[in-house]
Amino acid sequence: MEIPYIVNPRKDTGLINSKIAIWLFLASEVMLFGGFFSAYVYLRLGADYPWPERTLPVLPGLINTFILIGSSVTVVFAWVALKLGNWRQFQVYMGITVACAAIFMVLKGIEYNVKFHHQAARLHDYTVVEGHLGYELKDGADTHHPKGGDYVLDRNGKKIEENMIRVVAEKVTFAVKRFHAPWVNEMLAEAEHAKSEIKLAADIKAVTEEGKEPVTLAKAGEPLSLELLEKIKKQQLDALEYNAALRTDALRMEWKETKDANPGKRGWQLASDVNIDMDALAPRLLTEISTVEFTVNPPTRLLFKPRDIKESPTSSRLRDDTVIAGAMEASPMVFHNLDAIDFQWLVMKAKEKGISPETAIANSWLMKNSEFVREAWAWHLARNVKKQEVLNQRFGFSQDGKTPQQTLTHKELYRLGWKDLGEMGVETKGVKIGGVAKIKEEFMGPNYNARGEKTFPHLSVPREEIRHAAKFSPAWNTYYAIYFTITGLHGLHVIGGALVLLYYLVFGRKMFLSDPEWLANRVEVGGLFWHFVDLVWIFAFPIFYLM
Amino acid sequence: MSAHAAAPTGHDHSHDDHHHDPGFWKKYVFSTDHKWIGMQYGITAMLFLAFGFYLMMVMRWSIAYPHEPLPEWMSWIFTDNWKARWLQDGKVTGETYNMFGAMHGTIMVFLGIVPLGFGAFGNYVTPLQIGAVDMAFPKLNMVSYWVYLVGGLIMCASFFMESGAAKSGWTNYSPLAGFADGQIVNQWLAGQTQWLLGLVMLITSSLLGSVNFITTIINLRARGMTWMRLPFFVWAMLVTGFLLLLAFPPLEAAGIMQLMDRVAHSSFFMPSGLFTKSEGLADLSGGGSPLLFQHLFWFLGHPEVYVLLLPAIACVAEIIPANTRKPLWGYKSMVYSLLILGFLSFIVWAHHMYMTGMGAAVSTFFQTTTVLISIPSVIIITALLISLWGGSIRFTPPMLWACAFIPMFGIGGLTGLPLAFNLVGLHLHDTYYVIGHFHYVVAPGILFGLFAGVYHWYPKITGRYMSTFLSHVHFWPSLVCMNIIFFPMLTQGMAGFHRRWYNGGDAYLDKATAATADGANVFANTVAQNIDLNIVMSYGAWILAIAQIPFIINLFCSWKTGRKVESDNPWNATTLEWATPTPPPHGNFTFDVAVYRGPYEYSRPDCDKDYFPQWEAPKKPGGEAMDESADKSHH
Amino acid sequence: MADSIEAIQKAKKTYLMVFGALLVGTVLTVLVATVPALDVGSHGFDIYDAILGLIIATTKSTLVAAIFMHLNHEKKLIYWVFFGAIFFFFAMGALFALSESSPIYDTFFYK
Repeated sequence: MEIPYIVNPRKDTGLINSKIAIWLFLASEVMLFGGFFSAYVYLRLGADYPWPERTLPVLPGLINTFILIGSSVTVVFAWVALKLGNWRQFQVYMGITVACAAIFMVLKGIEYNVKFHHQAARLHDYTVVEGHLGYELKDGADTHHPKGGDYVLDRNGKKIEENMIRVVAEKVTFAVKRFHAPWVNEMLAEAEHAKSEIKLAADIKAVTEEGKEPVTLAKAGEPLSLELLEKIKKQQLDALEYNAALRTDALRMEWKETKDANPGKRGWQLASDVNIDMDALAPRLLTEISTVEFTVNPPTRLLFKPRDIKESPTSSRLRDDTVIAGAMEASPMVFHNLDAIDFQWLVMKAKEKGISPETAIANSWLMKNSEFVREAWAWHLARNVKKQEVLNQRFGFSQDGKTPQQTLTHKELYRLGWKDLGEMGVETKGVKIGGVAKIKEEFMGPNYNARGEKTFPHLSVPREEIRHAAKFSPAWNTYYAIYFTITGLHGLHVIGGALVLLYYLVFGRKMFLSDPEWLANRVEVGGLFWHFVDLVWIFAFPIFYLM
Repeated sequence: MSAHAAAPTGHDHSHDDHHHDPGFWKKYVFSTDHKWIGMQYGITAMLFLAFGFYLMMVMRWSIAYPHEPLPEWMSWIFTDNWKARWLQDGKVTGETYNMFGAMHGTIMVFLGIVPLGFGAFGNYVTPLQIGAVDMAFPKLNMVSYWVYLVGGLIMCASFFMESGAAKSGWTNYSPLAGFADGQIVNQWLAGQTQWLLGLVMLITSSLLGSVNFITTIINLRARGMTWMRLPFFVWAMLVTGFLLLLAFPPLEAAGIMQLMDRVAHSSFFMPSGLFTKSEGLADLSGGGSPLLFQHLFWFLGHPEVYVLLLPAIACVAEIIPANTRKPLWGYKSMVYSLLILGFLSFIVWAHHMYMTGMGAAVSTFFQTTTVLISIPSVIIITALLISLWGGSIRFTPPMLWACAFIPMFGIGGLTGLPLAFNLVGLHLHDTYYVIGHFHYVVAPGILFGLFAGVYHWYPKITGRYMSTFLSHVHFWPSLVCMNIIFFPMLTQGMAGFHRRWYNGGDAYLDKATAATADGANVFANTVAQNIDLNIVMSYGAWILAIAQIPFIINLFCSWKTGRKVESDNPWNATTLEWATPTPPPHGNFTFDVAVYRGPYEYSRPDCDKDYFPQWEAPKKPGGEAMDESADKSHH
Repeated sequence: MADSIEAIQKAKKTYLMVFGALLVGTVLTVLVATVPALDVGSHGFDIYDAILGLIIATTKSTLVAAIFMHLNHEKKLIYWVFFGAIFFFFAMGALFALSESSPIYDTFFYK
């Protein structure tokens, strides 16, 4: 059996199978990326927060655009080389194409990595601060220039990021049905490290067989272990299972009797009269143990990621319903380097309420609590006046002679980004950096090491002031969410396309020798996909980097 | 696709599969033969359909008898552990009902009917009808089946996980679906996430499938098989392929975004300031839009309706001419209607969203397109109806189902018309009326069409007929029960019964006074007047279940014991699949296929038989007809 | 498809020219977005900048599609498939945007 039109086109359609297929596939890709781009438009039009326009460093995106366009040309040239029957040239061009894909992905990886290490937080008054989180320092360590030995290390010898919720656990109560085993192990290891013991608070007695006396499953003081929890869980599940069967049978019986006694009546008319006789059933039931309590002695500090815990001053709840009784320590989010102060959102909210932006900013937590922010904001306001003057010179005023034709944007007015802070450092504190450090900044964002504490200062935000915090990840806002989703998916396409092209490069020789036209067709099809990937990027680049 | 194509001209030195035994695994499990893949799709899809049916029975029990424990004949399938976890004193809980409801819809639509209609019939019949040796990409075809199976199993496996399966409706609306299973620490192991993973795999599968189908239909047609000689079935598959190709990706986008919402905690579909019972004030950025999900979902959702429907219509359109012995009436207008239907189905989606607060202008646009799309569907159904006129009808088993399809689908379609209007939509939205409407389309409509297809092509697949007696035992109770189940839904819906009541309206009864159905609470009275229909519908469902048993017996027993076919063309039909040996071998045709005429040449006066197959050369060799086919050739 | 060797050699030149045009387009799109003197519309980013950026991007992508992907001389069938998808993409995006920006009440009555 032979599938026709694999190499030579069918006469009436003029096409080979794989060419039709790739165009169909591209059509569906148009709809896939179309779905995402439509989502972008929809999210941006409907955004109820200041959309972060022109926020990414342009340089990496620009270089990646060049690379992708270049690879698009080389892949065409590789195809041309095959059409001319030149294997060597094909290898060269295809090699460059695949190399371009690799460079593209490396750059992408660097971009992602920078963002994943950049923290942002929105306070309750809608002020946004951005910067670089530090690691917890020992008491009395030099907060400005910490050395290796100044850091607090966790039990694995790793530095602890200053974004953790700290709870001094006195009692831990597990939900028997669904404690999360890795967290239990974590607690055990933490306790061992702190030389404290987690012990069962009270005897656990349970009826494990119908009609028998309760059995002691575990005695008070038994140390916490996964085995112990599993044992109690098993008892709980067995009891649930057994009791459920009993109750179901009892309910069936009740229904049967009620129905026999009331012929012709509907179920909903009888339902209120049908109840399980719990008194009769109670002696037969097994004991259900839904929670089990352990004491931690001496009380031990446990660290949790904010997302895993609903914290409160005396008793916190983990996502798996484990309750931790004990005082919550101050768990501030500590920016060792603050690199942006953003009042755009705060001003937006203030205007909605009819409050003047100046009042709202002056009353914000940040202005009240940070000397640096007050100083920086004063500098910012002064500079904005100058900027407005420049605009006035260029565009002039409207007919009344007072209203400027063009005004500063919302972003310029109410956001102090890292570039602005850098300028301020240069102007007011004389912190200049040059050459490589500066180029690195264009690429990777603020260069904390080079500019240092004076430009990007230390800021500690109390936990209760924070409304929402995240890295510059999809969790931060819908802009980053759609950015990561589209570029991530595009990246996967780059990888997929490059693998296919690499396959032709490495294993195409045999195909080439049997029929160059065959390989040329294949490369054309692979190339079409590659161009499409380029095409998506041509739109993604301006939309995410320049708009 | 493979080394088969090593030589540009083909046939000479590639190995010939007829003479090699490829071994058990290659032949039956990882087969690349479109016919066997079609069978795999068919069997898998029917198993999923049975499972979806079972879920429905549990739900119907919960609706009709919300206070009574699930009876043993229904609950034996669960382990005690599962029952203890998901039933309360043996009764179905709201959560469990939601889970079953969501999975019933998902399984029936994505795992049952699409794979049965498009995957099974499409795969088996399409290459045969166009005279091709196989699909254009046989290995891709195999991959799409396996991706579908794995996706489906992932979805169903979540029933047995800590979280249970997805519970947010088959439409999976955010923010509900974004938060569901929030208590599961590893979100990858939550049923709701598994649903998304499964869905992405299913979409990938149907994407590969549709690329394959369209390429096959465009490029692998036999000599002389011009576009207007394509059987209607093939046309329907072509349009279905395009719908899958272009409508599914936006849902894939939505699925990926919801996946991001769940595992990366983004807020694509999460509005600002969201407060939920389980999470409190959500720790999310907000700023997203739940409506965006609905738009993306229904951009797929409406074309999906036609993805379900077209294969069924396609089967019926093949069966009616063969059993009336006259040509399909208005073949060309049917084809054009089909194309218009396919086009319009992309721009009607927001009629599912009249209640979301769209502006009047947008609502009116979608209302207009929705009313417009009824025109091509009515043309198709009318053409099928007129095809019966004046025919000498043989009421063979497939014909019974095909004939039942027309009025049943008609009810489904006509009950949909009121829903096209946004004012009526305000009243009927999310009521049982909607459920009744689309179940009329899908269950007695589409499923009947597909049953017809099974009975029609069974002799070609196995070489034996299915038992006529058993098929009657299957057909008549099914027809009656379908109406018993779905007609009361229309009544209940107009009375205001909401589609997501797990207790069938019991909670709204005014217990103190409603015993007389005459209390002061008006809505409670309305509920009391209609609530007993729940019990009627339940009995309909139980009997419908029993009525499927003869089908299952018939399907398996006739394979070995059925009456043997007398020839390769037992129905005396005209299309190319009947020109193959029975069952068709790998590579399908034993002669060089050429097509000389349209697909439905029945009772031609100039022909001594009452059918003139597409592949039979005209009497005078070398005559005009021969030239006609030859100039369309490709060799 | 260019099949003769001369035609292919000629096409190579076209490809290089397109490459140049794409590079220029890319630089241009960055310049209009970052250099204040080239800013269109009012100061800062606004709808005119968005339109200009999209026009440049569309031009670039048209070049890629027409020359690199050979859409300037392709079979009709492929035009139908690809441009059909692009049409539905636009329909989808436009209707999304429309329904987002169109409120439930009629602005004529509620001003």
